[in-house]
Amino acid sequence: MLKIWSMKQQQQQAENAEGAAGKKKKKVTAAQLRVQRDLQELTLGSTMKMTFPNPDDILNFVLVISPDEGMYKGGHFHFSFSVNQNFPHDPPKVKCTQKIYHPNIDLEGNVCLNILREDWKPVLNLNAVIVGLQFLFLEPNASDPLNKDAAEDLRGNREGFKRNVRGAMQGGMVRGVKFDDVLR
Amino acid sequence: MVAIDQKLRWKHLYNVLTRSGPFSDEDWVPGPETISTLESSKILVIGAGGLGCEILKNLALSGFKDIHVIDMDTIDISNLNRQFLFRQSDIGKPKAEVAAAFVEKRVKGVKITPYVGKIQDKDEDYYMQFKIVVCGLDSIEARRWINSTLVGMVDFENPESLKPIIDGGTEGFKGQARVILPTLSSCIECQLDMHAPRPAVPLCTIATIPRQPQHCIEWAHQIAWQEQRKDDTFDSDDLEHIGWIYNAALERARQFQIPGVTFQMTQGVVKNIIPAIASTNAVIAAATTSEALKIATSCNPYLENYMMYAGEEGVYTYTFEAEKKPDCPVCGNLARAMTVDPNMTLEAFIEALGERPEAQLKKPSMRTEEKTLYQRFPPQLEEQTRPNLKLKLSDLIADGQEIAVSDPAYTIDFRYRLDFS
Amino acid sequence: MTEAFPGALVGPSSKERKYDRQLRLWAASGQQALEEARVLLVNSDGPWGKQSTGVSGVVGVETLKNLVLPGIGGFTIVDPAMVTEPDLGVNFFLEEDSLGKSRAQETCRLLKELNPDVEGNSESKPVTELLQDPEFLPQFKLVLVSGPANKSTLITLSSAAKALGIPVLYTRSVGFYSTFSLQLPAVFPIVETHPDPESTQDLRLLNPWPELAATLASISNLETLDDHQHGHVPYILLLLHYLEKWKETHDGNVPSNYKEKTAFRDLVRSGARTANPEGGEENYDEAVAAVLKSLNPFTLRSSIREIFEMDECNNLTSETADFWLIASAIREFYTKHNVLPLPGSLPDMKAQSADYVSLQNIYKSKARKDMAEVIEVVRRLEAELSPRPAQIADKDIEVFCKNAAHIKVIHGRDLPQLNGEKYTVKAINNALGDPESLVSAFLGFDILDSIITDIQSGKQNEKALDSALAWEAGVDRVIQSLTLEASAAINEETKQRIVQRTQELRRTQGGELHNVSALTGGLVAQEALKVITRQYVPLDNTCVFDGIKSRSEMYRL
Repeated sequence: MLKIWSMKQQQQQAENAEGAAGKKKKKVTAAQLRVQRDLQELTLGSTMKMTFPNPDDILNFVLVISPDEGMYKGGHFHFSFSVNQNFPHDPPKVKCTQKIYHPNIDLEGNVCLNILREDWKPVLNLNAVIVGLQFLFLEPNASDPLNKDAAEDLRGNREGFKRNVRGAMQGGMVRGVKFDDVLR
Repeated sequence: MVAIDQKLRWKHLYNVLTRSGPFSDEDWVPGPETISTLESSKILVIGAGGLGCEILKNLALSGFKDIHVIDMDTIDISNLNRQFLFRQSDIGKPKAEVAAAFVEKRVKGVKITPYVGKIQDKDEDYYMQFKIVVCGLDSIEARRWINSTLVGMVDFENPESLKPIIDGGTEGFKGQARVILPTLSSCIECQLDMHAPRPAVPLCTIATIPRQPQHCIEWAHQIAWQEQRKDDTFDSDDLEHIGWIYNAALERARQFQIPGVTFQMTQGVVKNIIPAIASTNAVIAAATTSEALKIATSCNPYLENYMMYAGEEGVYTYTFEAEKKPDCPVCGNLARAMTVDPNMTLEAFIEALGERPEAQLKKPSMRTEEKTLYQRFPPQLEEQTRPNLKLKLSDLIADGQEIAVSDPAYTIDFRYRLDFS
Repeated sequence: MTEAFPGALVGPSSKERKYDRQLRLWAASGQQALEEARVLLVNSDGPWGKQSTGVSGVVGVETLKNLVLPGIGGFTIVDPAMVTEPDLGVNFFLEEDSLGKSRAQETCRLLKELNPDVEGNSESKPVTELLQDPEFLPQFKLVLVSGPANKSTLITLSSAAKALGIPVLYTRSVGFYSTFSLQLPAVFPIVETHPDPESTQDLRLLNPWPELAATLASISNLETLDDHQHGHVPYILLLLHYLEKWKETHDGNVPSNYKEKTAFRDLVRSGARTANPEGGEENYDEAVAAVLKSLNPFTLRSSIREIFEMDECNNLTSETADFWLIASAIREFYTKHNVLPLPGSLPDMKAQSADYVSLQNIYKSKARKDMAEVIEVVRRLEAELSPRPAQIADKDIEVFCKNAAHIKVIHGRDLPQLNGEKYTVKAINNALGDPESLVSAFLGFDILDSIITDIQSGKQNEKALDSALAWEAGVDRVIQSLTLEASAAINEETKQRIVQRTQELRRTQGGELHNVSALTGGLVAQEALKVITRQYVPLDNTCVFDGIKSRSEMYRL
């Protein structure tokens, strides 16, 4: 028998009666604990708000980014965050819940941000993801796009792209696609 | 019915249980008591797949008599090249049940109790009944869950609450086996960085500049399906679904003139298939069960604590002691018992935490598994949880429940079990 | 290249589905080799005495299990033993009804249940009797022997197999220890060694062939490219471009030492554009990361040079095996070009799809061209050496060309014996220098073999299995055989370590523990698979496993 088991055997009987209560209660998971910590360490500027549809479930929430500069100024962009129990081994799943005109976000809401996929590491935290998302609105990147049309516009005709962004943000049509109004 | 002479049947095994060897612990007393300890040791096997089938066989032939096995899966044709307890006619049946019945029938006198379902279905009372837990899993998430559950169950007043975990894993010709003594040695969470993350390709490469056949398959799987079959939930076991992905990938590969998309590759990418063979499973499974026998009987010292195996070039093993991480989120800080007045408000409780000797927590956030008690940041959540501050503890938590506390002043988190006075 | 893209789905066959997880390792060619192979398991050589039934044969049966599951063509179990009660406590491929029946038949029956594609036979006669039939042994591709075994049987069997070029795996598993040795033919070549993909990159950046060098024209002026284009130039072209620049200022020489390579790396790094949202360029990052690894002149690895220098490669006859004929052709290629045929694979890299595909095609067509040249030489040699049984398939030559830098020839040795063979004595003495070495357990097994031999010949009775006297005599004999050379002397400390291992071995009186045998059966099956498929690299030649510390060691004995 393992030594560690036998060490306190005599004591054991006496102790058995006590401590039985509460054994069935579920424990805070490693993923929850890490998210609790990550949330506490966020630095959210005035341009970001979070909402928790269920405040008891901190693994699922919504982030709204409202850029105060750049081409996307004035818009309110909604992202759903879904963290699984394998966090931080797995990255959080982030999707834009509106249809927006952006070279790095496709019409299904998929986001191309390296740290959400190929460059994710468990040492990264939610703040890094949020900073990355915010950056996408200040500096949309035409070089490796998800929305090819938007990227072509940005590369070929920056002024036209800006006009398209304004139009799309108001819920207008760009290249035959109707976008969501994100100004409210 | 043949009369069974137990001593004769188990002759070889009993030899090592009734005679000490040059390496066995000096304090160990070999003999009938060791045998009866082994036979009464209830042992749990998690997973009845490639490793699990071997583990069940090995434990039954190591003298364990009371074995339980959990697996939620059913038998698939691709299991038959290694999961030797299953036959063609078993396809579709639950693995745990078929495996248990087979070993029970073959090895007389062993009782194997299957449970078809998830490990998360079971509570601490269930896990408390076992002496040892052997894992033959392919998911990191399940390993982390059982690890944190068993670490959390350790009660220093009750040595029986310590359940050694013996974990095995394989990939192709490689594998590893490790022994974890929850709270005493390096745990699965401490060793999390030994699991390489699944290599991923940038989404934008998949969307716009594919170069490899795998990129075309990922495109079909992650982008085309969403766009074109939004209403169907993708099922990687549905041949029609895989076929659709395969054809979409082929079409994309044709557009970009990328050669090499095959059906086999499509399945591999979509299901994240890891190569698996019988021989590697045999090696790793037996490494785990050998440790189970040694731990249950002390007939020889157990592995401390990690063994790596690679078989591509000759036979290579590397055995070392993985270190316990002081700031491990699972075993770094164990739950402390704290007696509290159930009528105390959460606010008063938080103030009291500030005076605890182990950590003067000034700005804590805290929760239970199901409830966010108080979260200081972000402001929206603070607002939502602020009303809790005025509530009594008894309105928020149950007697004996565990809470987890984070404080920006500490890089490590704290757990408390709150017992009502 | 992109031959056909069928619109309708042709799913995999049920066999492909069953073997899917292993086909991803050794592919259809490995599977075919496996299905064409028949193995012999000599699972015991009769009882050791009046009471002891001899080897339990668990490790042999567990090995076979791991070969039957992946679909070996067939197996024959030779085992004169009858099933006894202790067998049921260790052997999973027996049941209560098997008691008193032929163990060969019973284990064969239950193993066959594992895979209906596999053919199985059993023989209850001793193997020495079966060897009388000259047609018996040649039907097998591999012989597995479970020990401890009578030494003369072992020598008879292994010599017969050696004469036929059939590899032998001799395994012993007792208590917490096990050991196995692989006897391979004196020359055992492997083409598909499956090296780490990282180590197989051969990009030829320092000596680009004309077609590769010509691609540089497309980026002759990097400055004029727009940001998008600039950020997507494949790193291979970037390196070639900067190498040209470097040569302009270095008398036409490429960076050759660490210092120059670091300077070259800085030159590459300085070319990246940083005034963009990412503050850098991924393709430049890849180029910088590849400098130290990829900018090495082609050198022929010494192991390949040795193969080229071997007699087999130089004195071809009409009977020469295909391997040597192709190797000889490749040597000719090397003599002419000072490089091996290009493998032709290109790592993934940041690039536009079309640019990558066209670069990939440059590598592939060069590989095809090199291969065509090798094929031409092979055909010429075949003509010179005719008549030969069959023309070598293009496919085999292609596989060889792709793997040319990583082929391997193992110089197989006989099953190690402590009979004074100098090489073995020296290797064991060397290993004994390490106090932790498991070679002392190997010596313990040799003592056990001798004791079994003595029991079977009536010199000792079966109590010797656990007799301190018999084992001490064994230790002395072994030590004596190791000190044949005056220079080597086993000190007392080393002797005590050997004694300690023998004490542990004695604990089960020659009996197997299921876990250790199951683990060893996995290891042995792994070696069998490598030998049969001629893929990956098999053991050369002895492995010892310690179930107490859960570790193994390899020796060439």
